[in-house]
Amino acid sequence: MIDVEFYDFVRGPLLEFALYFFFAGIAYRFLRVLLLGLPKDYAKPKGNPLAKAIEKIALKPTQGWRFFMEVFAHRGIQYIGGFLFHVGFLGLTFFVPQHAFLWKEIIGFEPPYMPQLVADILAYSALFSLFALTVHRVFNPVLKLLTGKDEYFANILIGIVIFTGLFATRWSGGGLYVWMLNLHMLSAVILIIYIPFSRLSHFVYYFLSVFFYGWNVGKRGVSF
Amino acid sequence: MNTLSEIFRKRGYSRRDFLKFASLTTALLGLPPSMFPEIVHALETKPKPVVIWLEFQDCAGCSESFIRSTTIMPTEVLLDFISLEYHETLMAPAGEYAEESKKEAMERYKGKYILVVEGSVTPNGVYCTVGGKSNYELLKEAAENTAAVVSVGSCASWGGIPKAEPNPTGAVPVYEALKGKQVVNIPGCPPIGDVMVATIVHFLALGKLPPLDNLGRPKTFYGQTIHDRCYRRAFYNAGKFAESFDDEKARNGYCLYKVGCKGPITRNACPTIRWNGGLSFPIQSGHPCFGCSEPDFWDRGFIYRPLSVVETGFGVEKIAAGVAVGAAAGAGIAWINKKLRGGKK
Ligand code: SF4
Ligand code: SF4
Repeated sequence: MIDVEFYDFVRGPLLEFALYFFFAGIAYRFLRVLLLGLPKDYAKPKGNPLAKAIEKIALKPTQGWRFFMEVFAHRGIQYIGGFLFHVGFLGLTFFVPQHAFLWKEIIGFEPPYMPQLVADILAYSALFSLFALTVHRVFNPVLKLLTGKDEYFANILIGIVIFTGLFATRWSGGGLYVWMLNLHMLSAVILIIYIPFSRLSHFVYYFLSVFFYGWNVGKRGVSF
Repeated sequence: MNTLSEIFRKRGYSRRDFLKFASLTTALLGLPPSMFPEIVHALETKPKPVVIWLEFQDCAGCSESFIRSTTIMPTEVLLDFISLEYHETLMAPAGEYAEESKKEAMERYKGKYILVVEGSVTPNGVYCTVGGKSNYELLKEAAENTAAVVSVGSCASWGGIPKAEPNPTGAVPVYEALKGKQVVNIPGCPPIGDVMVATIVHFLALGKLPPLDNLGRPKTFYGQTIHDRCYRRAFYNAGKFAESFDDEKARNGYCLYKVGCKGPITRNACPTIRWNGGLSFPIQSGHPCFGCSEPDFWDRGFIYRPLSVVETGFGVEKIAAGVAVGAAAGAGIAWINKKLRGGKK
């Protein structure tokens, strides 16, 4: 098989299919969650649900710091690893120049892009923190019970996407570069298809779930 | 006058010129300096190579590039050096005489001549018929007793523009038409003349083909991408890109990726050997590489858009279409579920 022919296939029809699949899948899941049909709650609200829901959407990330020391003491690896991973992975997804050009095509707006050196730092930190988080999952008795095939598969897939991206841009030359790029794009395409039907789609439900949580807090008149 | 050093002398060049050519070729081919005496000796003693050059679905641009390969070998020396027994564009005889001389050369130099092919082949068609024979027949006939087959240009190497969608003639590359036979591919549209000359000199001097990659390309010239050796690479790494042709940034040497450079996936020797006697190459002149030496470059139809975008485009309408399908499916299934649950009650 000729490497550039494979590249054309992955970057052409396969990527297009994956993007269709992603948007359709996310919309499908979103609608399914929205229309779950929870039983109607007839109790009179004790507080203001809507105000609390909006407050939670706007301020929840900052309110988490109130419990920081308490939680950090027990879940330091998750805090630091999770932070580094998310900053690295999201940074790479949006702000690597090649990705920014792709985003411009998809959303019509070009995110600012960064030099290779910053991308490298993000990639290393995301990769190492992903590794630490995965190992932590394997050895932490509670997390181990909460972890299924979904998490391991997702972690490995994301690891491959980052690693092949790093490998392609940093270490491989000549013919190997195109194959590395192929692997990078193929694993990214698989990830894009996989996201809507895995827990990776949590980023889509974040606002929905925070709104739901705020609504209930407001309804019960709880102070936090 | 049969050896290369003799041809140099006959054409009024000094021994120094000849030695310069030999050392340049040794360096170009990536051979160790210790092999220099061997190359010189071979070029002083071995008779010039016999070449039969067939043209099929092509534009003769590769021939043009070949005879203007001025960096390492003066044109008049080249035309004397390569004993072109048959070349439709360059030879004096025409019609039956030309066919006769080709036949004669194939008999006389059986097993010794180098077959150079320019242009793609059509095994299932009667295109490029010469003397009542289709191009496929002509190719098979000439390839039977050859010492080596060299495909020059992207058409012969990969099918090129004739093979571009919808490929009306059913064009195929030479290596596909000659399955089972070793074919050297020197792709490019056109390929660099020096690369063609150096490959032939390697065969003449050392009696074997240069090391090839898995697609039959000489590794020395096609082992790395344009991007690997591009002088704008520092800007690529720094995330500095030209926004349009000849803008301030482009003129300051910023990377041309954003205006469509295909250098990262293109293997060729342009940044090192360059064109027009080593003067410049497209990227240096401000135009992105469009990947002419890679298969199907013509069908990679987004010449002036970045390499990383979806080839067929993906914008708001396509997002909306995807979301609509997903939302309809989600709402539909939710509705059915509700009905079923309602039914159970
Ligand atoms: S101009 Fe092209 S080949 Fe040169 S660094 Fe930029 S992308 Fe690579
Ligand atoms: S720079 Fe690219 S497109 Fe231009 S001649 Fe070289 S390989 Fe072909």
